[in-house]
Amino acid sequence: MNAAVRLSASSLRAHKRRFAGTFLAVFLGVAFLAGTLVMGDTLRAGFDTMFGRAAAGTDAVVRSADAITTPGESQGTRQPVPATLADTIEKVPGVAAAEPDIEGAGQLVGKNGKAIGGKGPPTLAGNWIADPELNPYRLAEGRAPRSSGEVVINRGTAAKGHLKIGDTTTLRTPDPVRVTVVGLATFAGQDGMAQVTFTGMTRADAEKYLTARPGEAASIKVRATPGTGQRDLVARLTSVLPKGVEAITGQESAQENTDMVSSQFLTLFTTFLLVFSGIALLVATFSIHNTFAIVVAQRTRENALLRALGASRRQITATTLIEATAVAVTASAAGLAGGIGMAAGLQALFPAIGFPFPDGDLVIKTPSLAVPLAVGITVCLASALLPALRAGRIAPLAALRETAVDASGASRTRALTGTAMAALATAATLYGVLASPSLPLAGLGAVLALAAFIVLGPVAATKVVRLLGAPVDRLRGVTGSLARRNALRSPKRTAATAGALMIGVAVVSLFTVFAASLKATMDQTVSRSFAGDVAVSTPSFGAGGSGLSPRLASAIQQLPQVDTAVGLGRGVAKVDGEGRALTVTDPLALERTFDLGRIDGSLAGLGTDGIAITRTEATRRHLTPGDTTRLTFTDGRRKTFTVRAVYGRSELAGDYVITRAAWAPHRTQDSDTLVAVTFGPGVSTKAGKAAVEKVAARYGDPAVQTREEYAQSSAGGIDMMLTLVYALLALAVLIALLGIANTLTLAIHERTRELGLLRAVGQTRSQLRAMVRWESVLVAAFGTAGGLGLGAFLGWVLVKASDGASDSGFAFALPPTRLLIVALVGLTAGALAGLRPARRAARLDVLRAIATQ
Amino acid sequence: MTTATTVRAAARVVDAVKVYGRGDTEVRALDGVSVDFPAGRFTAIMGPSGSGKSTLMHCAAGLDTLTSGTAHIGGTELGALDDRRLTLLRRDRVGFVFQAFNLIPTLTVAENITLPLDLAGGGRDQEWLDALIDVVGLRDRLHHRPSELSGGQQQRVAVARAFAGRPDVVFADEPTGNLDSRAGGEVLGLLGRAVRQTSRTVVMVTHDPVAAAHADEVVFLADGRLVDRMEAPTADRVLDRMKAFEVPA
Repeated sequence: MNAAVRLSASSLRAHKRRFAGTFLAVFLGVAFLAGTLVMGDTLRAGFDTMFGRAAAGTDAVVRSADAITTPGESQGTRQPVPATLADTIEKVPGVAAAEPDIEGAGQLVGKNGKAIGGKGPPTLAGNWIADPELNPYRLAEGRAPRSSGEVVINRGTAAKGHLKIGDTTTLRTPDPVRVTVVGLATFAGQDGMAQVTFTGMTRADAEKYLTARPGEAASIKVRATPGTGQRDLVARLTSVLPKGVEAITGQESAQENTDMVSSQFLTLFTTFLLVFSGIALLVATFSIHNTFAIVVAQRTRENALLRALGASRRQITATTLIEATAVAVTASAAGLAGGIGMAAGLQALFPAIGFPFPDGDLVIKTPSLAVPLAVGITVCLASALLPALRAGRIAPLAALRETAVDASGASRTRALTGTAMAALATAATLYGVLASPSLPLAGLGAVLALAAFIVLGPVAATKVVRLLGAPVDRLRGVTGSLARRNALRSPKRTAATAGALMIGVAVVSLFTVFAASLKATMDQTVSRSFAGDVAVSTPSFGAGGSGLSPRLASAIQQLPQVDTAVGLGRGVAKVDGEGRALTVTDPLALERTFDLGRIDGSLAGLGTDGIAITRTEATRRHLTPGDTTRLTFTDGRRKTFTVRAVYGRSELAGDYVITRAAWAPHRTQDSDTLVAVTFGPGVSTKAGKAAVEKVAARYGDPAVQTREEYAQSSAGGIDMMLTLVYALLALAVLIALLGIANTLTLAIHERTRELGLLRAVGQTRSQLRAMVRWESVLVAAFGTAGGLGLGAFLGWVLVKASDGASDSGFAFALPPTRLLIVALVGLTAGALAGLRPARRAARLDVLRAIATQ
Repeated sequence: MTTATTVRAAARVVDAVKVYGRGDTEVRALDGVSVDFPAGRFTAIMGPSGSGKSTLMHCAAGLDTLTSGTAHIGGTELGALDDRRLTLLRRDRVGFVFQAFNLIPTLTVAENITLPLDLAGGGRDQEWLDALIDVVGLRDRLHHRPSELSGGQQQRVAVARAFAGRPDVVFADEPTGNLDSRAGGEVLGLLGRAVRQTSRTVVMVTHDPVAAAHADEVVFLADGRLVDRMEAPTADRVLDRMKAFEVPA
């Protein structure tokens, strides 16, 4: 065996404990990364299989060629095709069967009166397709719907809503429809297509409730005769299809669905997780670097002796690097296994907590193994590189000198470089945020700020720890004083240890500040632009739910307490060639319930050819009242609209407003997203709300909220997101704490003799434990303080940059309570990290400690 | 026991046995030692390497526990004390001077001197401390760090610390082992003066006959047993006595 390898092996054996922290840091980072990637693979494969199964018997799908896609939406809206096209298609040679597929939103109400699903995955309704090959659902019990009001529902939905065959319930389309369950269906042998709810109706019912006009279908599903290939079929169909209608193969259709889910949900999901594993690994870098730096410092004498005995620089450096490699490879490999275990655990856990993931076997692709392995090893080796080089530079004479703790760090050059970087960061950020809003410049400033914090860390450590430690000194006497001085011993080491926690806390604070700002913004938006007394909306998100019945607004309007009730519907159209969302409403009532800011022109008399536009969009398109613009609807028809009004505020009202009359000829399945209500004079909010709630109860019982409640519920999703972010960041914070614990353990090893002396001259075990714990708390306090400062600053940058990038105002808010909690958690965590090293230190045998070299 | 009745013992061990290891590797470091360290006297413990002199000191000072027999500081039997009480006893009633690494590098000279008092958290006798600082001659170094002092100066600080709390007894383990003869002489002089001028008690382990000559009495240990005592030692007499150990009896 090579000498360097032999030395590393013996060193690793002798100091297993020292590397435990490094091992854990790499292990956790790699496990998170691998887990994320494997889960991504598995989910993608799961969706792939699911959509593949859904389209298994379908050889071709015929649909409108053109889709209108609005910004922020991945699946466009397509014009329906005539259902009669199925008859034409059936005559084409090679076609065995063709069925119109009518698809819409339909949310079932369970036995307990509560809507089923609607929290993410779609709640679908459609016609029950008779051809068993073209219908992805199979009847498991009961029979197919034969007469109006009869439905088949998937078994999973039935179980969730406690519905049985023969039960009568409500289907919200969003107008409530009384339906009787006559059959239960399965999807590819399972209780449903993941968590999607499905209601199959008769074709007549589907046309009546799910389409704007009878005789329309979303698409036509086609099955080929045996021996006819999918491509072949599509080619034959294409020749008979009218203009604007296309045919794609069943495989392409499945692929499209998978891609849609991938781009819309999976990519977001995995990117999100990858960002957090990146943060965890970055934090790990600090811990690893620190461990190796300390180990090399502690081994100065040993390495110097080796140099004196004739070991070359390269051999010494190699010894350290080989050690790092050994730790890196074992930890990364263990991390891989851990990650796969994590993915498997989550896969088992998700269905239990109702997450909308399809099931299937764990799928592990090569990159998902190779990438985390490579990243883990690279991170570990790169972190150990500098310490290894430093080890090689140790002079043989150092063997004769008393080993001193590395006290460098607070050098002048460092202070100057750091200050210059901080100044540059501030300048770049301020310029990017305030002078000429530019996201890249602000981002560059943010990165520079982070770098400046790290460079300045050792310089700041001395001052900050002295400051933060002052109260500890006063409170804990000599114990506190010793703790503080120990924390100050090696500013570089303290800064590096705290740096890991700093990054963790900074990201936590950044999200905390950003979320608080988002909430403040929403609050401000609602209080500024919502002039109504109550808002009626359905508490759903994602693709679920079915919206509000368009008849709800007029029903509420009938109430004596109500002055104005206006429903906001959503439509899509291409405005001068660009897909845009339209607000379909009564413009005059809109003006009474929303503060639209300054209005040029008039919202009265938009009629069927008038449109109102926000000032931002109008300016962009160079439109003023009186100008015309051309809208293309999903049915392919074009119409010229005259701009009758330009208004200022668009947060709730949307960018384009047209009347219901103008929308009616082009409408699809109708639903409102929001009904805004103002009460007549003298009507109390309480009384008015109660009256509205009574009416709303007949229309699927949507939430009726006062302005404050509405603002709060709009912000509810942010809190949920923030909780998730906190959970994910817990890993990074855990790694940082492992780093603190590890550094402390190493420091205690270094100070064995000193601790023995302290114990000999009368320091009690509990005083010694307190001393180590306080040192840990001080290091954590330094990291937390830095993190809070950096996080708040970056949060401000993010908010201001978003403010500059969007046309709606973005408020900045610092949540004091939450940030205080973050600070307390940081400190408590510091105390926790100190527990084990403190216990170990207190267990030192006094005599042996004194006798230690 | 004969001396104990005439002079009060600041520290003593009775039938002290200390066994390390067991079976084949068993070593009897102390094999039935009974010795008094009378109050107000400077006693040196001498003996060849492995004679058990350090072990005796460690056990007498409450740093280590006896396998059998008893150790006392003043009227307190150490075997009955748990770790916490032993620590408090060391803090309040015992002073230590070790061969090296006596000072906490992060504390100043002044802070090192008052460390046991600060750990106790009680009040301090400033007059006594001032006198002590003047005796060891470190008034101009009070705010220096240990690393800024010479080895002799560091040991003088350690001596000052050992006496700061007016302990019943100060144990010194080869206090001059790392010093040149001049610096060593200063430290030994300090110890001697502390005993004679302020009636303190010092027990010193040493292998250096010159150092032992500073003591009032020398006790000789060999193979874990007390073999001799010598009043009013001189370096030459001690050296002669030590030479006797080298010839197997």
